[in-house]
Amino acid sequence: MSAGACFHCALPVDRVDQFQVEIDGELKSVCCPGCKAVAELIRDTGMSSYYAMREDPQPGIGRPPEDAAEWQIYDRDDMLQAFADAIDSRAEATIYVGGMYCAACGWLIETTLAKVPGIASVDVNPVTHRVRIHWHTADLGLGRILALLADLGYDPQPLAPESAARPEIAEQRTALKRMLVASLGMMQVMMFAVGLYAGDFQGMDADMQRFLRLVSFIVTTPVVFYSARPFFAGAWRGIVSRMPGMDLPVSIAVSTAYIGSVYATLTNGPAVWFDSVVMFVFFLTLGRFLEMRARHRSIDRSTALSTVLPNTVTRVDGDEQLTIPASQLLSGDVVLVRPGESIPADGVLIDGQTTVDEALLTGEAEPRPKSTGDALVAGSVNLDGIVTMRVEKTGSDTTLGTISRMSERARYARPAFVQLADRVASYIVVAILLVAVLVGTYWYFAAPDRAFVITLSVLVVTCPCALALATPAAFAAAGTRLSELHLLVTNGNAIEALSRSTRILFDKTGTLTRGLPVIVSTQIFDDAFNEMQCLRIASALETVSTHPIATAFTMTENEIVADGQRVATGDGVAGTIAGQRWRLGRQEFVSSTIMDAVDQDKSTSVYLGTAGHLVARFDLDDEIRPGADKTLAQLSQLGLQLALVSGDNKEPVRRVASALHIEDCHSGCTPEDKLAIIRSAQEAGETVTMVGDGINDAPVLAGADASVAPVHGALLAQTSADIILLGDALEPVATGILLARKTMRIVKQNIAWAIVYNATALPLAAMGYVPPWAAAIGMSASSLIVVLNALRLSRYGAP
Amino acid sequence: MSILYVLIPLALLLLGGAVWAFFWAVGSGQFDDLDTPAVRIIMDDDKKPPEKPEL
Repeated sequence: MSAGACFHCALPVDRVDQFQVEIDGELKSVCCPGCKAVAELIRDTGMSSYYAMREDPQPGIGRPPEDAAEWQIYDRDDMLQAFADAIDSRAEATIYVGGMYCAACGWLIETTLAKVPGIASVDVNPVTHRVRIHWHTADLGLGRILALLADLGYDPQPLAPESAARPEIAEQRTALKRMLVASLGMMQVMMFAVGLYAGDFQGMDADMQRFLRLVSFIVTTPVVFYSARPFFAGAWRGIVSRMPGMDLPVSIAVSTAYIGSVYATLTNGPAVWFDSVVMFVFFLTLGRFLEMRARHRSIDRSTALSTVLPNTVTRVDGDEQLTIPASQLLSGDVVLVRPGESIPADGVLIDGQTTVDEALLTGEAEPRPKSTGDALVAGSVNLDGIVTMRVEKTGSDTTLGTISRMSERARYARPAFVQLADRVASYIVVAILLVAVLVGTYWYFAAPDRAFVITLSVLVVTCPCALALATPAAFAAAGTRLSELHLLVTNGNAIEALSRSTRILFDKTGTLTRGLPVIVSTQIFDDAFNEMQCLRIASALETVSTHPIATAFTMTENEIVADGQRVATGDGVAGTIAGQRWRLGRQEFVSSTIMDAVDQDKSTSVYLGTAGHLVARFDLDDEIRPGADKTLAQLSQLGLQLALVSGDNKEPVRRVASALHIEDCHSGCTPEDKLAIIRSAQEAGETVTMVGDGINDAPVLAGADASVAPVHGALLAQTSADIILLGDALEPVATGILLARKTMRIVKQNIAWAIVYNATALPLAAMGYVPPWAAAIGMSASSLIVVLNALRLSRYGAP
Repeated sequence: MSILYVLIPLALLLLGGAVWAFFWAVGSGQFDDLDTPAVRIIMDDDKKPPEKPEL
């Protein structure tokens, strides 16, 4: 059916010779005039190596919209005030660039914009999808810059300065500095430690030993007081809130070893443990840094939520229509929303009728008809009618804002496996301290001169470093490996929950299916037409429709051309083909008399008819994601109970369930129903993983023990999911569960090793058989073994 | 061995210099994007535009 993929946007191409672009001496086919213009622009500006460098695009990414937006509006002064920091003749703005998906895009944007006169500097960050631009307002306006980005095939959205501020950049900078101080400090102190240990064996000048200890002390001090500060702060918070976390044992270990070493340095004691301190701090800082990076990637996705809302709205003041920045919208304003625009705020429709796509909020593809008096929700897309609405709630007061806040809260209030490990670790710390006090007291009476040395050995050798590292090291390694396997972990606890999962629930639309309707069967009522003819007619009629159903009828090649098409909101489309009036849509719309007995429970049916009689019926359904059957088979092989929960009708749900051999399926579920299913399974002692993509899945995802959201689903679902599934395949879910189980095995091995080590080392140290330097080596070695064991995960599944 | 009394403080000074330079680099935003630079080296606009672009 298709003649290959578009060179620019990877959508199917109708005819090879319809639109072509010459790139590097080769003729490439593109799908539409828009892509042709973009590809020519890229070529003519000397950027054609972009095509060689970029990663393969998802179909449709980079395709310019058919009707170019009105960018000139952004040249106005009030827009400049709303979206940029303007001082005198210079301005700075941050622009969110939709469709920027790889480093090559960043390069393309940066090099293209940098050549434009008047633009002083361009900073592109492909990870956060943001471009920061400084320019001279005398030379060009914001609108021109946006138009340039749009010309390159991207979807630019200027961000208001407050939403452009990124606290995560400041966090990352601080974390980097802390890590560097710890790593440089570690290298130096290790070097001095080698000298000191060698001196212990070969004998060393007492002055040199003091000197080496002194420089170790000088280097370790900033590591403890700067790099390890977050751990002390966390420990203090834990004490204040009576919820001691992992930070407490870490802080105690760091501070005891440090203070003991400082004391030994000042009093010429037997040994120092500065090397252990810096190594410990470095590994912990590194683990925290990797965790933070994964978390930031998910923040980037949730801030993208603000771009769902339009930047400008058309306000109606009496007879006048004014375009204003959406941020100036107030409750009570009357705004005009054209087809294809998204609803800027929550409100009531006061004039006109239309259908809206609320998929962003509900995750279901079926558009909802709306007429006067109906409520409209911010973030949904107006599909086919021009309507006016009265604004009731704006910004964070809207449903969208509320859901976003709710799922944010749900994220922070999670019962954590790590907290349990922390509690265990803090008990152990208390136990160690008690043992150290007992040992110290005993030796104080038995041999006072050895009491301090032995007590320190006990403290160091039993330092729960290996124990404290056992879980985070494994989780950090697993997180890195999972992201290579296309699973982005935003909540470390999810790995543990995933490994215990006994039941896995799938949403249907957009998760097991692709979320785009396809024709599954065609029934012909009029023998004068065959299936192909009917399809061609339908396709010709649907060319004007923006309704999602129209995508099912998109044909790559169609000699039938319709004219005079009209979209009847909520009913269908009508048009003239070869002088004959045709209708495509709901049965009541196509035919005056009901001929086909429809089963309401059935999948979506679209009727084609002419002159009041039915010609054909198309049954539409969602296409099952390729590879879904294999993944599900693998999951049930792993011993997981599969279930399908969907808000969709019974019949399509049953069909998907039987195609994928899922026995447990629930249709017509509201989010509350889904949550109830999860709760009842959890009460029965099961651990539930939820895979879903809609915004109304957000509470469901938050309620499940572990949750996975596909990257192309609703943004809000991703913010409340523990794991984001990158790419198009479901397969990583199964791999992820295997890796999670392996991770937990390694965590258990690590903990077992740490306990065995401590249990053997403690009595020896308490009896005075372990000199402090051996204790330090033992502690470092045991931590190293734990880290190396965890690193095995980073090669998991690799050949 | 007494040369160490000079060399080690010297090394510490260099270390301090390195930390200061890194802090400056982080502060000026050079480490804000940790992903693009890795691939940037393989992208170079060595192709000359066919004609003067009218941008």
